[in-house]
Amino acid sequence: MKKIVPFLCALFLFGLSGLRAGDFEPVYALVNCRVVTVSGPVLENGTIIIRDGLIAEVGPADKVAIPEDADVIDAEGLTAYPGLIDSHSRVFLETPREEADSPDASGPETARRGFHPGAQAFKDLKVKASDRDNLHRAGFTTVLVVPGRGIFSGQSVLLNVNGESEEAMVLRNPAALHVNFVTERGVYPSSLMGTMAALRQAFLDVDHYVAFRAAWTASPRRFRRPPYSMFLEALEPYVVGKKPVVFTCENQEDIKRAMRLADEFQLNVFLSGANEAWRVVDLLKTTRPPLFVALSFKPPATSLYAVQGDEFKKKAEREIYPANAALLHEAGIPFALTSYGLSGPAEFVKNVKTAIQSGLPREEAIKSLTLVPARFLGLENVLGSLEKGKIANVILTEGEIFEDGTEVRTVFADGRRFEVEKAPPAAGGTPGAPALTGAWEGKIQSAMGDLEIRLELVQEGGSVSGSVKSEMGTWIIIEGTLSGNLLAFTLQAVIMGQSMDLPFEGRVAGDSIEGSFSTSRGTMDVRLTKSPGC
Amino acid sequence: MKKHTVSAAALLILGTALSVKAQSGDLLIKNGTVLTVTRGVMERADVLIRNGVIRAIGPEVPAPPGIRTVDVSGKYVIPGIIDSHTHIALAGTNEGTEVNAAEVDMADVINAEDPSIFTALSGGVTMVHTMHGSANPIGGQNVVLKLKWGKPSEQMLVPEAFRTLKFALGENPKQSGRAGAGPPRYPQSRMGVNAVIRRELMRARAYMEEWDRYLAKKRSPKSPPDSAPPRRDLRLEALADLLRGKMLARVHAYRADETLEFIGLSREFGFKIACFEHIPEAFKITKELKAAGVGTSVFLDMWAYKIEAAEGIAHSAAVSVKDGLLVSLNSDSGERIRRLFNDAGKALKYGGLTENEALKLITINPAVQLGVDRIVGSLEPGKHGDVAVFNEHPLSAYARCDLTVIEGEIYFDRESYLRDRGEEAAGKRPGDDKGGAR
Repeated sequence: MKKIVPFLCALFLFGLSGLRAGDFEPVYALVNCRVVTVSGPVLENGTIIIRDGLIAEVGPADKVAIPEDADVIDAEGLTAYPGLIDSHSRVFLETPREEADSPDASGPETARRGFHPGAQAFKDLKVKASDRDNLHRAGFTTVLVVPGRGIFSGQSVLLNVNGESEEAMVLRNPAALHVNFVTERGVYPSSLMGTMAALRQAFLDVDHYVAFRAAWTASPRRFRRPPYSMFLEALEPYVVGKKPVVFTCENQEDIKRAMRLADEFQLNVFLSGANEAWRVVDLLKTTRPPLFVALSFKPPATSLYAVQGDEFKKKAEREIYPANAALLHEAGIPFALTSYGLSGPAEFVKNVKTAIQSGLPREEAIKSLTLVPARFLGLENVLGSLEKGKIANVILTEGEIFEDGTEVRTVFADGRRFEVEKAPPAAGGTPGAPALTGAWEGKIQSAMGDLEIRLELVQEGGSVSGSVKSEMGTWIIIEGTLSGNLLAFTLQAVIMGQSMDLPFEGRVAGDSIEGSFSTSRGTMDVRLTKSPGC
Repeated sequence: MKKHTVSAAALLILGTALSVKAQSGDLLIKNGTVLTVTRGVMERADVLIRNGVIRAIGPEVPAPPGIRTVDVSGKYVIPGIIDSHTHIALAGTNEGTEVNAAEVDMADVINAEDPSIFTALSGGVTMVHTMHGSANPIGGQNVVLKLKWGKPSEQMLVPEAFRTLKFALGENPKQSGRAGAGPPRYPQSRMGVNAVIRRELMRARAYMEEWDRYLAKKRSPKSPPDSAPPRRDLRLEALADLLRGKMLARVHAYRADETLEFIGLSREFGFKIACFEHIPEAFKITKELKAAGVGTSVFLDMWAYKIEAAEGIAHSAAVSVKDGLLVSLNSDSGERIRRLFNDAGKALKYGGLTENEALKLITINPAVQLGVDRIVGSLEPGKHGDVAVFNEHPLSAYARCDLTVIEGEIYFDRESYLRDRGEEAAGKRPGDDKGGAR
């Protein structure tokens, strides 16, 4: 017993001073490196001093003194960039299963499945070292983690990927409210026009709630107190306080819808997704919302390029949509690039290269992952470039970033050093985990009859992407994860022109998958076997 | 930078569609037989369109220098066809989860990339009233579009048109509980449909009165400064707009009895009905419809496809016209929409309408129903240059649309479409840069 007392004392003292193990980072001096500051000129032979989580000094080798206490890192042949920022990520989130409806859940006033503006991504964080390593390997040190699906999907959290506990990673929480143009199944709103109406009603209700509450506060004895609403309280900072509201835009019409709502309710609107932004350049030029552009090149289901058959759709995916960023740049519209809709950091890096090949200058690509998102997020003074006093998010690469063969060697996040290991072999995340990549065939069983389906899955570590083909068309898989033998994804189904999300959960056993899609009317069982041909 | 050229045989179906080049809205259509609909027939006449508006119609109209000219000798020129009731160019049809969804607005979900637009153009259609479906007694707000294929959705809207609200009676709204479609939802019967509409209208009236009281109180100098306004309810606000006469009802109806009951509702609450939709039993109640000042929008010869359509007859449209009703033909479909002129032709056979009476069913009559007859629906100087050119008389069984023009711009040209399609298929010419067309 006695031995434990000094330990507790120490713990107590540490607690008081707020110190934790991570705070004892050495001082680093990165010498002999090429420094791409982003905000200023490139330094061919530069020195960066990192102390106490910040960039203490950065400059040409002959102008920066190496402190005595510094751990000197010879970065000969390496290039330093600011850590990259992904402004729309699903990393560190377990795909949350949505709760089943209660049978009486209908009517615009009652709580609905997709209406949870108060949900916080922060509360669902499950930080895994493998996810962190994947981010670092792609050069990311900062991520905006956006909560799951739904019309009001909740509030995002901005994290610095520094290897600390969830709380110590937080740069800002909550960062923004996220809205998706999706529909409910079987309950209101089950259509896109219903979703628009429900959004309008929600924003109006906030104004009324606030006015009513103010009137009651001013003269509480004149009338009965207004009923408390958690839903409206959660929306209030965004509708009244004008904090950022991020609309995920799957096509050009979504962008127009978001800007219409921004105009009607004077919201501080950000757009995410927006891979058809190039089609509404004039609107974006006049309204200038912050743009988080997804590097997904898949034509949306509504697009003229998708309704003319697979051949043309694939052509558009190869030749038209990759130029989105380049066309925005030509039009002088600032944007940040994100990994929304992609399987993970590896695919993101591949797609940045494709965007560059399609005409986006490399230095603009870099800005759109550093200084521009930092500015959009209101953190330009602490993030996004290599400048004295900014947070020490620095990556060291061998070769120019976004060149073939270039690898990130070392990452500093909040001044903490990570040596980046080479990527594990593509197939399978954890050893012994099932390999999903390939074609799977089987049936969905529903009350309306069976539907034959064929899945094309691509697995990269713990993330799964792909598509589902049936006589009803080809649908895209999003947010796919494999943990252990548990496979979960959301299928973006398009049925009679309406898009809806069908969550899937199942178990993988060798060459078979058994699981179910959940809908508001219950579940539909699925059995799949791996197609031997692939 | 790389040019993003999309050649592709895959563009086949939409070939000419998107190669709409920058146009000025100036066009001279020469030497056609012009069926003006409101001002008779002119042989070997020209139609001059400047800045999208018809300037002159007649023989030997002098051509302004440099104007784009199309010679249509031997062909027939008619006003662009108007479909009074369809569901194309939308990203959604029904918000059917609630008995009343008056707050939803189809203007929010215009899909300018729906290939049905091009299909419609190939049948001479230039304007549509594209509507909420009939899943619930009170549906949503509809929208009137010009089919400017290749243009952004906002440029298709027709601001001059009436605001309309969809209602639905009979089998569709009452069959909400049928097997497989989820839990049963009130109403399950025709009397239930009527009752639920009355209930919602009463709520809307109370809502309207609450706001009127609040606004009156606010204006009075004695009002306390801290009185908060009532909650705005978009659903009831839409119905209140109907009660205030700012919006008109368009009512999906099949049987005579429920139709008359609905007219009763409109008298009770004092709102206006623009039109009953489909209404195969219209011929039974033409006097009552005339007395109520309500027109119809119907299929010409389609009936008995469900129980409540059993008593339809092909003569209904003609009988209604002769009894003085304002009748239009509608497609209700993205396919039938391209042959509305065939349907109009059938009105000569079934009921013996004159050629001009039959043409009115797809031109000026729907224009009046939609409140746009001052700008479209006939060929007259001052109206929009919305024109369809047919190889034969459009009511002939051999007729085919060759050219469709909206505001002086060509949106469908059969000849160049077929040529492009053939050449693209044969690989003789690269496709246009459809990607950056606009």
